[in-house]
Amino acid sequence: MIRNTRMKRFSIVSSVVALGAMVLTTVPAQAAEPGLTSKEIKLGISTPLTGTAALSYGKIPGAMKAYFDFINANGGVYGRKIKLVVRDDKYLPTLAATQTTNLVLKDGVFALVAALGTATHSKAYAAASLATKKVPDLFVNTGFSGFGNRTKYPTTFTVLPSYAMEAKIISKFVKDKFPGQAVALVAQDDEFGVDGVNGFAAGALTLTSKTLYPQSSMTDARAKALLTGLSAIPGKPVVILFGTTDVTALIFKAAESLNLVSKFTWIAGSVGGDSNTLLALGVKATTIDGVVAASFFPDAKDTTDEYVKAFSKINAKYNPGVSFDNVVLQGMNSALLTVQALRAAGKNLTRAGLIKAIESKGSKFASAALVPLNYSATSHIGYNGYWMGQLNAKGELKPFGGMLSVVTTDSTTGPITPSTFKRPSLPKNGIPTNS
Amino acid sequence: MLKLTPSKKRTIFFIAIGWALLLIGDRIGELRQYQGSFVAMYALAIASIILLTGYSGQLSLGHSALMAVGAYAGALSINNLHLHPAIALVIATFVAGLFGLLLGFGVARLSGPYLAGTTLALAVSLPTLANQFPILGGEQGVVFDVGLPPARFGENFSQYKWFFWISTLAVLIMLWLISNFVSSRYGRTFRAIRDNETAAALAGLNTGRLKVLAFAISSGMAGLAGGLLVMLISGVSPSAFPLSLSFSLLTGAVVTGVYSLRGVMLGGLVLVAIPEIADSLVTRIGGSEGFTATLPGFLVSALLILAVLFAPNGPGTLLHTFKKHH
Repeated sequence: MIRNTRMKRFSIVSSVVALGAMVLTTVPAQAAEPGLTSKEIKLGISTPLTGTAALSYGKIPGAMKAYFDFINANGGVYGRKIKLVVRDDKYLPTLAATQTTNLVLKDGVFALVAALGTATHSKAYAAASLATKKVPDLFVNTGFSGFGNRTKYPTTFTVLPSYAMEAKIISKFVKDKFPGQAVALVAQDDEFGVDGVNGFAAGALTLTSKTLYPQSSMTDARAKALLTGLSAIPGKPVVILFGTTDVTALIFKAAESLNLVSKFTWIAGSVGGDSNTLLALGVKATTIDGVVAASFFPDAKDTTDEYVKAFSKINAKYNPGVSFDNVVLQGMNSALLTVQALRAAGKNLTRAGLIKAIESKGSKFASAALVPLNYSATSHIGYNGYWMGQLNAKGELKPFGGMLSVVTTDSTTGPITPSTFKRPSLPKNGIPTNS
Repeated sequence: MLKLTPSKKRTIFFIAIGWALLLIGDRIGELRQYQGSFVAMYALAIASIILLTGYSGQLSLGHSALMAVGAYAGALSINNLHLHPAIALVIATFVAGLFGLLLGFGVARLSGPYLAGTTLALAVSLPTLANQFPILGGEQGVVFDVGLPPARFGENFSQYKWFFWISTLAVLIMLWLISNFVSSRYGRTFRAIRDNETAAALAGLNTGRLKVLAFAISSGMAGLAGGLLVMLISGVSPSAFPLSLSFSLLTGAVVTGVYSLRGVMLGGLVLVAIPEIADSLVTRIGGSEGFTATLPGFLVSALLILAVLFAPNGPGTLLHTFKKHH
């Protein structure tokens, strides 16, 4: 109750002014959305720029920036330019938590894009209160199926197929193509351990040998001891390497020095099978020749692919000096998805609207991948399949047996089915016009 | 006129700081509250190093591992025993303290570079070891959730303010206990051992046992700091405790002045503020991302060198000599 009459008058006048201002403001809803002006959309990414993980994934933010710059030069999204704020988390959970909090509270970003890693991003998601603040968390780069939990991660959309899907698909492939051969699994003991090993179990693959190692503990000596042990298995055993690229390279190099490369049929998982990085880490081209790998993208060296062609061109112009590889392809593809999501949310962009737009239209977005996107009101998981290929000495991934065969599945006990998916063609000149 | 004993003065001082922080916490934004919680947590971790190195003369490079022990103990007692977060933090303190005690018995005969080497080995191996036990959740780790702030504080009481309250309160209580401890008989005997172990032993002190005690208490403090750290990042995992954390804490301790607990807040502030300063520097002069990523390390190193050159006993003593000369 206001007793003072002057005070009372003042409060009435101010109420009227406030009410008038609210009526007169043309877009009151938008004023409340952080990171958004009529000229700019501010997005944020927390990802390793330094440290060992940056060796493989450090190119992602640059690739995304390049694509956004390209879109900005062509009118932006409904006239708004996209600004990407990049923060280095060194792939450490503590830094991911603080940097993501910085992105939300300090930089005031509208949405997060393409965060990297499971241990890192699960901490960052809770620490930065992304759920309560309803910050869209788009196209997270991890295959950990736990992010599909909608109660825990209501605003998260993952992009990679889960490790469990990959393990199931590799299981079936091995049983079909190498019947009767002994199979050895060498897997990293972390989220792969939970997800991947479960996938191999779900795929009912009989393993002659299973080695789990913590990522930082694999050394040259351990790799050599492991391979010497495996070389005692008769025949030509299949060795599945389910770990990061640096460890995959370490094991290949150990096999080279032990002269054991041709003793095994090698299968490298999608995480560790990037030929460019393997070659850059000193693995011989002759070693890579014939390695079987799983992928959901076209090969980054396949210049006949329209997406690869367009992205390479953008990369040369807006990301000069950076060679085009699978990681750059992945970054650009995430940026392409982001632009389509922003367009799909319409001119009156809101955080809630963006999430809704991906749920309702995300499965139709154009993307470079050869497998379908799975977004719906009930699923925030992106791609759901793989194709198996074989690397040649140039590091190009060619379909196994000369025939591209894409299969899709889920992360649990669902069947593995050949995909009839037809990839949407690249938007004209690489600029999305969807709505 | 009321005559105050030093310990009463100290208590009043801590209550005053608590009161001031309570008022400050209401007036700053969510980001500053979050950073403030980190400052408090780092201050405690640095204090644990100062107690060990500055007061009892032992050098540890493995405090990140002791923090990890406390962090896992706290997280497991919330998740598996369903205990209240406050009790979990107490458990974090005691389990790390107990771990430190056992470790202390093991390394009591070691000193100088040998002790540093042993603790370094601990910092390298312990987080990796966590991958071997399924209960610790592997690389993914275990969730550490203190829950939402109580409803009676109202709708506008944010998670970050809640973090700020918990961290500052826990740290103030711990530091109050420790500052009382070091000004007691034990503090004096610690310093005697640090300055001359043989003389202390000749004076009748059981130096071995006292050194183990110092190690255990320091570990307990580190354990609480670890518990707070994983509360702030909402979960514990091996990679949250890299070797670089141990070195950062040591840097903070040197910058603070390793012989006095008075400046610990400064040390915490330095660790949190350096990346901020680097950030704003880069925005102002416009450097590349690589520049932003490497500048904090450079600034910390520069500060460390300056501190060792000009204020080896902390900025407090620098001020003191400055006064004496003028």
